[in-house]
Amino acid sequence: MKAVRSCHDRATIALGAMLALGLGACATSPFQRAGNADDVAAAVARSHPPAASGRSLAFLVLAGAGGARLAEYDLAASRVVWTQPADVTTRVEVGGSVLVHGSKGTTPNGELVGRDLATGAVLWQRPFPSSEHLYGYALDGDALFVVTRSTTTPNKPTGVLAAYDARTGVVRWQAMLPSARVAGPAVRGGVVAVPVESQYVLLYDGVTGLALGQVLSTEEAATFVRALPEGFFYGSRGLFLLGRDTARGSRHATGYLAAQLPAFVRPTYDTDRYRPEQNEYSALDRNRVLWRVTIADGRPQFRDGLAFVHDYRFFFAFDAATAALRWAYVSAEDAVASTDTGRSILFASATGEIVALDPVTGARIFQAGLPGEVVRGATFDAEGFAPPVTAAASTPPDLLGSLTEIIADPDLRFPALKLFAIEELGRQPGRDVTAKLLQILETEKTSPLAIQKAGEMLVARRDAGALELFTAALRAHADYSAKRPAPPVEILARAIGALGPLARAVAPDLDAHLRLPETSPAAATEIAKALVQIGAGESVPALRDFLTMYRADPGYERDPTALVAAAEALLKLGGSTDRELLLFLAEEPHTAAGLRAHVSRALSETATAAKSAAK
Amino acid sequence: MGIVLALVAAGGVARAAVSPSQSGDAPHAAHKRKAAKADRAAPGTPVLPADRVEALRLALVSADDGVAIEAAATLGASGAPAAAEPLCEVLAAGAAPARLQAVLDALGKLGEAHQLRADQTTLDALALYSGHRAPDLRRRAIKALGTVNDARATLPLLDRLGDAASDVRAAAAEALAARHEAKAAHRMFALLAMGDAGVAGPLAALATPDMVPRIAELNGTIEDGIIADALGEYVKRPDVPDKLRIDVLRTIGGLSGAVATTALVDYVASVPAKEERASKKEAQKLLDQRGASQ
Repeated sequence: MKAVRSCHDRATIALGAMLALGLGACATSPFQRAGNADDVAAAVARSHPPAASGRSLAFLVLAGAGGARLAEYDLAASRVVWTQPADVTTRVEVGGSVLVHGSKGTTPNGELVGRDLATGAVLWQRPFPSSEHLYGYALDGDALFVVTRSTTTPNKPTGVLAAYDARTGVVRWQAMLPSARVAGPAVRGGVVAVPVESQYVLLYDGVTGLALGQVLSTEEAATFVRALPEGFFYGSRGLFLLGRDTARGSRHATGYLAAQLPAFVRPTYDTDRYRPEQNEYSALDRNRVLWRVTIADGRPQFRDGLAFVHDYRFFFAFDAATAALRWAYVSAEDAVASTDTGRSILFASATGEIVALDPVTGARIFQAGLPGEVVRGATFDAEGFAPPVTAAASTPPDLLGSLTEIIADPDLRFPALKLFAIEELGRQPGRDVTAKLLQILETEKTSPLAIQKAGEMLVARRDAGALELFTAALRAHADYSAKRPAPPVEILARAIGALGPLARAVAPDLDAHLRLPETSPAAATEIAKALVQIGAGESVPALRDFLTMYRADPGYERDPTALVAAAEALLKLGGSTDRELLLFLAEEPHTAAGLRAHVSRALSETATAAKSAAK
Repeated sequence: MGIVLALVAAGGVARAAVSPSQSGDAPHAAHKRKAAKADRAAPGTPVLPADRVEALRLALVSADDGVAIEAAATLGASGAPAAAEPLCEVLAAGAAPARLQAVLDALGKLGEAHQLRADQTTLDALALYSGHRAPDLRRRAIKALGTVNDARATLPLLDRLGDAASDVRAAAAEALAARHEAKAAHRMFALLAMGDAGVAGPLAALATPDMVPRIAELNGTIEDGIIADALGEYVKRPDVPDKLRIDVLRTIGGLSGAVATTALVDYVASVPAKEERASKKEAQKLLDQRGASQ
């Protein structure tokens, strides 16, 4: 369908009216009222929560054999309402009876397309010439607000906020922004918010274009603005609930909120609206924090105390105050888009699956989809969507199972996430967890970092109830004929050592590894230390054998750490005969120099104590 | 019990543990008595005089590796039962790799001469070094251990069938085959199925008739030469019925490469010239066919 109406040239410039509140009157700075709490509070008071539409729709950007299309899917009815050929570039925004999205069009900077919500039919197209760059758009009912950066005068770019009739594409008003460094807008209940210069959020009356107030974010960049039923928000690495106390955005304000999240999470609460490319459906939609808040006495709190993380195929709920993991859900495919509807976590997968999760338990409460489709991106218009429990519902995901699935996932894209999963797994109680950690250590494809992390968790657990598991792991010696690699002796020894005398029964199995060719010097070092920690006096013969066998080995001449550890252990666990042996080692010229030096010193330092013990 | 402790109790490490300056001193009487006692061997067994053993013992712990290596070789070549003890003392006290290699070789030689006693100290020392990090030492220890006629030597040999180094596995397999350890056959077959050429001969020595078709079925999964090697050794066994030999030879004949030809030639050569065997004729026929197809 060709352009129904081109309205660019019909713009009404209403600059005079826009310069109210002293913005234009100020000769020096257009931001002299920035941070004025009264202005901001009055503007927020005008911003009424939008009436609930009661809709539960998903707009799916489709690709694949059927070509580039846009589909509207009714979640409540589990059916496709319409599908239209569409080359969607930037996100679908949904209004009262209209939706708007970007498209390549025929002009250098693409175009905005307005479509009828009921049919998907094109209502209008708004092309952007090379001198006009689209930064973002937002809908409030059927009013469309668009922020652009104009370079009509090349040396003097300007930022422009324009209001359109979203059904016709006709310009209602246009305001020159006080800076060309602009970002995409948000609109809520008749108030439009536009971030500029990274630290300001300008507020405008959606009907008249009159400036209402200016927010000054003093401690954190304001890279986004977001309108939700519960309020207007801005921020970047945290959230500011727009209001009197956040007119000068400080992290100390009661309206400021930031969740505690683990290190693997990219803690951004929305896309960077200063970057137009982030308006496109991209990897950013697959790796984000999902959040909603409740507000009591002007103080926002994360709803149910939870913040959600969508990381490609994985969804997590974290206690926003402690970063404690509440649940983890693993999707079979990458989720290309997600949202927190306030009552569910809703996502669409790359293969057309649409799933809703219970935000509190992580249980799947809805499942539908478009089988055989390739989904590039999605936008949801499903505020408050919480379907009735159906057969598609699942029990809450088993945390242990989910974490294990993440760790075992052959996908190599998520090394940090896997480390997190191993750490979380290690924090869970139970012998099963110890068994799983051992399994991770013994899996051939486990990365070195993952092995290190699993080892750390295994040591830290001090699971005395898992001695049999340690024994079994140690007894699975390397065997070429059975294609069995050596067990992770170094880590096992550390874990056993951490248990102290409780683990003494494992000593013979540690001893055996001192006599095996595959035992590395590092593992031998840990074995020797562990034998001391568990007080394994019966391991003295194994220590003697190790020391004598390798004392003159050129490999240990370079690094005698393992020999030194064995000598130390022998000194602590052995008796007078062993001191004689150590004396021999110290004096025999073929003994590794480092060992000789250490043993000489150690024998001298412990001579008095040894004499006393002998008496 | 660790070997060092055993030798400490026996005075071994106490001797070795003297300071270098003392190492040239005259040995004390206890050792003299012990050495003399050790040389009371069976009639016909080579004997090393006690003071000669003592001199070599001292040479073994000399600061000079060359002297020690020569002493080890002398003790090994002596074929005297008393030669084992000073060699085992070196293992117990530890030494640089070259000296240890010489000592293990010497013990191997004593073993080949059936002069390696199955005492616990010797077994412990050899078992310990069969687990050394250096494959060269493991291989030598295994070889020596294989000659010890005692069931206690079997377990370390079986363990080394799973060694990461192919020459150590081969040494263990050969030792086990020489000891007719039938229980090693299944692991050897697993190794053969992985293409481990070193176990082909030893497996042939232990294989039961039901294992032969399984070896043949490896055709296409491992090198033909390895299968030909295993089957070629198998047909040479005197206990194999001639009818079965013919089947096996035909399987070898179906394999490609020089090793298969060599196996057939070897078989023909292994049969006494005057002995008439259907299998020999079959082997010759297969060889003729191979020649004709060249």
